[in-house]
Amino acid sequence: MPAAPSLLKGTLDVLVLKALAREPMHGFEITVWIEAHSEGFLAVDDGALYQALHRMEARSLVRAEWGITDNNRRARYYSMTPEGRRHLRRAAADLVRYAHAVVAILAEGR
Amino acid sequence: MRLPRGVRRLFRLDVRRKEFIRDALDEELRFHLDARIAQLLDRGLSPTAARDEAMRRLGSSVDPSHNPVHRSAQRKEQRMAFRESIDGVIQDVRYAARGLAKRPAFTLVAVMTLAIGIGANTAIFSAVNAVLLRTLPYRDPAQLTDIVLTAPKGVEFPWSWQKFEVFRDASRNYSSMALHLTQQATLSGPNPERAPIEWVSAAYLHTLGVGVAMGHDFDADEDAGPNAPKRALISDALWQRRFSADPAVVGKTVRIDGDDCEVIGVLPPTFRGLSGTAEALLPIGAGDSASMTQPWSLEYDLVGRLKPGVTAAQATAEAARAGTLAFDRYPFTKDMLTTADAAKWSATARSLNSVRAAPVVQRSLLVLFAAVGMVLLIACVNLANLLLGRAATRRQEIGVRLAIGAGRGRLVRLLLAESLLLAAIGGVASVTLAWWGVHLLQHLNPADALQAQGIGPGIAGSGFDAIRLDPVALGFTFAVTLVAGVWFGLVPALQATRPSLTDHLRDSGAGRMSARLGATRRALVIAEVALALVLLAGSGLMLRSLGRLMAVNPGFTSDHILTIRTAFPPGALSPDSLPGFYERLQARLAAVPGVTGVALADCPPLNGGCNGTIMTFPDRPQSVTGNAMIGVHWVSPNWFGALHVPLIRGRMFAPGDAAGAPRVVLINEAAAKQYFPHEDPIGKAVKIYQGGFDKGATVIGIVGDVRFGTIDSVARPDSYISTGQSHVERLVIFLRTSVDPASVSSAARRAIAEIAPGNPVYDIRTMAARVGNATAQARFSALLLAIFAAVALALAVMGIYGVMSFGVVQRTREIGIRMALGAERGSVVGMVMAEGARLAGVGGVIGVAAALALTRVLRSLLYDVAPSDPATYAGVVLVVAAAVVVASWIPARRAASVEPTEALRS
Repeated sequence: MPAAPSLLKGTLDVLVLKALAREPMHGFEITVWIEAHSEGFLAVDDGALYQALHRMEARSLVRAEWGITDNNRRARYYSMTPEGRRHLRRAAADLVRYAHAVVAILAEGR
Repeated sequence: MRLPRGVRRLFRLDVRRKEFIRDALDEELRFHLDARIAQLLDRGLSPTAARDEAMRRLGSSVDPSHNPVHRSAQRKEQRMAFRESIDGVIQDVRYAARGLAKRPAFTLVAVMTLAIGIGANTAIFSAVNAVLLRTLPYRDPAQLTDIVLTAPKGVEFPWSWQKFEVFRDASRNYSSMALHLTQQATLSGPNPERAPIEWVSAAYLHTLGVGVAMGHDFDADEDAGPNAPKRALISDALWQRRFSADPAVVGKTVRIDGDDCEVIGVLPPTFRGLSGTAEALLPIGAGDSASMTQPWSLEYDLVGRLKPGVTAAQATAEAARAGTLAFDRYPFTKDMLTTADAAKWSATARSLNSVRAAPVVQRSLLVLFAAVGMVLLIACVNLANLLLGRAATRRQEIGVRLAIGAGRGRLVRLLLAESLLLAAIGGVASVTLAWWGVHLLQHLNPADALQAQGIGPGIAGSGFDAIRLDPVALGFTFAVTLVAGVWFGLVPALQATRPSLTDHLRDSGAGRMSARLGATRRALVIAEVALALVLLAGSGLMLRSLGRLMAVNPGFTSDHILTIRTAFPPGALSPDSLPGFYERLQARLAAVPGVTGVALADCPPLNGGCNGTIMTFPDRPQSVTGNAMIGVHWVSPNWFGALHVPLIRGRMFAPGDAAGAPRVVLINEAAAKQYFPHEDPIGKAVKIYQGGFDKGATVIGIVGDVRFGTIDSVARPDSYISTGQSHVERLVIFLRTSVDPASVSSAARRAIAEIAPGNPVYDIRTMAARVGNATAQARFSALLLAIFAAVALALAVMGIYGVMSFGVVQRTREIGIRMALGAERGSVVGMVMAEGARLAGVGGVIGVAAALALTRVLRSLLYDVAPSDPATYAGVVLVVAAAVVVASWIPARRAASVEPTEALRS
């Protein structure tokens, strides 16, 4: 059962940056990577992904360049900029703290 | 063929940005959609279901215009467009800066040209703004009106209290009005000083819309005089100087002209009366009885505040009607006018704003503003010429850019960036020049010189000392810079990019382009010569006028004379004791080392005017029109000798012409000609309505005309009364010296203090300085116009030189062929110089015609010179011709030095 889209809303940028942390990817690869690494729990909406990519491009967190895929098609590859890397570090730390806080609250409630 | 990216970047070709981004997005989404469909097919979905699901996940099943991905792409598109345009501007500016740096001589000349043009304009505009445009510092200044009495021939007079009352009662359009009069008064104390005060009616501050900083305003009962209680509103400066800013000053007293006046308030620091100089305001009702009880006296100025909504036409009509009523009730003198004549007298109301500066200053400034505008025009023409020349030398580069697809708009923008950058640098440099110019104007200050002559004190807050390089002036500079940069960059840019691609690349095309640019440049030079000639003609006329003015005989000699003013507080000495005082004073001053003669008078020459009144003739029927107005001067008998004023006929004052003896007067030649045209005035009886001479006196002599008004005014009828027979309490002491007159001033000041310790001693100036002041305004205009004309001429010479040089370079090959065919070097020189002469000739003809039309506006500023003075025009044409010879000579020599073989090889 995939997560509700609303849960993804605030974390999509971090997930995309995390996907790009290792190597440049095109949009479809990013969605596959997130889905695979979350064992199918996080299914990224394709439209939302491109909006996030455009937004991060405007903030210079990612940059895009045309490349050639294995099956010889032109695709637009996104890579993380140094600014994106700094942003990922900060946002990931915040998100981990946030997750711990949420877990702690939920545990208290039991 | 698609050019490599590097080439496109090099020549800055436009990328089709919008379509490019959309195409890229579509391609990217198509790839994504295909990948998603393939994934879904692998998971076992049918092709239709896979496609629908992929579309749903992309959000593309809805209208594309509402598709969030497309909307975000659109935002990206806008961001990129903005960033690209900024990048484009930055790159254009960088490119322009590199281009300018490569040609430092061109850049320097262009920047200096603009800096001079804009800087001079800004400085003069600052003066125009301060003196003519800036809002007067009073509440709703547009409602404030200056009202004057007008005689049948348009001569203006001040008001008496009684006429004012009739006028006020008959007026319905004013919410308030007040009389005011600025006079010098003696402020007693440890350091007695002579300072300006204003006598005002009670509604003065209320009319102007000014409040007091401390205390309270005058009450309406202050107008109940004469001889009402003495009260004063003092200036902030006086409060600080005399009362050490004592917060409890209200209720204390200040001694003014011998009277203790109760201080009822302190004026705001920024307000010193309409004169801008008053140290105190005193109610007219506290003055002596004469000023309020003599309806024929002419003393006060009148300011009124119109009710909201009243038009200038209504104010004018009512002023005329109410002014006539005032004269009906109180004729000019108590027994001289018939009712029919009285009806011709009237009053005129005009905006206070229009009288804020002396008319001569207003006219001068407007003329200078027009002149400096022409300088700017010439500067811009020169800049356009320079840019045209530069564009012509870059035609090959422009051709290549057009060939590889650069749009004309893009190239125009690139060329415009250069002119705007030049204008910006010139604008910055111009601010420095303007700052310097503003200081020069403050230093020259013709209004101050006029004020020193007693002419047009103007309205406070609108004098030359108020000139500032303020935001308005800087805004003006910015606007002028922008216009200059855009307009005079745009014309050459459009010219340079107009021809087709092949025109640029083919030799013949290049020739046609050069010819077109050359024709434009020649037209600009003609305009430049014409404008310079107009300015030269204007400045030539002003200089000639100044020369005539300096040559005017003022009627006295000014060398080795020091003038000092002093005054008694009223009533300090009885009239009987004044003659004795005069003698003691003269004797004491005569003992000062270096002083060879001492004389006294009540008013110095070239004072902008002195005291005057009506003169009548007992042996003639009373004349009701063209009343005999005459200046009245109290002088010591030796005054004429001290100033070398000649006796024309009759005799001078003698020791016997003393109190109790029959009253005698001297008149000047102008009075003799005007009032005794067909008879000998010597021995004639006259009545002069001042100094007790209205009982009658005898004319004993005629002396030379002395100019008491301005140096450029005609000599007016004057009469002289001996200080032996009538006395005044304000004196001008004339010291003739054998040494530098300024060097005796300290000793003279001490001598006066010994004789009259309570008297203020002030306005110490040499007579030469007074004469200098008399021509200050003319010198101001002539000097600035001459500077502008010189700059204009220099710019015109540069323009002609530039065009001639350019022409020689363009025609090098042709000149080489001519010389190879046997043309003499002299004929080549002649050919080039003839071209210059042709341009100058056409420009000269246009310029002379324009100057003849435009210099008419100078008529009122000229003295004894006609606006079409042939000698001036001949001189100006000669100067322009000489300038053209100089500007053409160097290029002509260069043309003649062309080696035919090299020219043919090039």
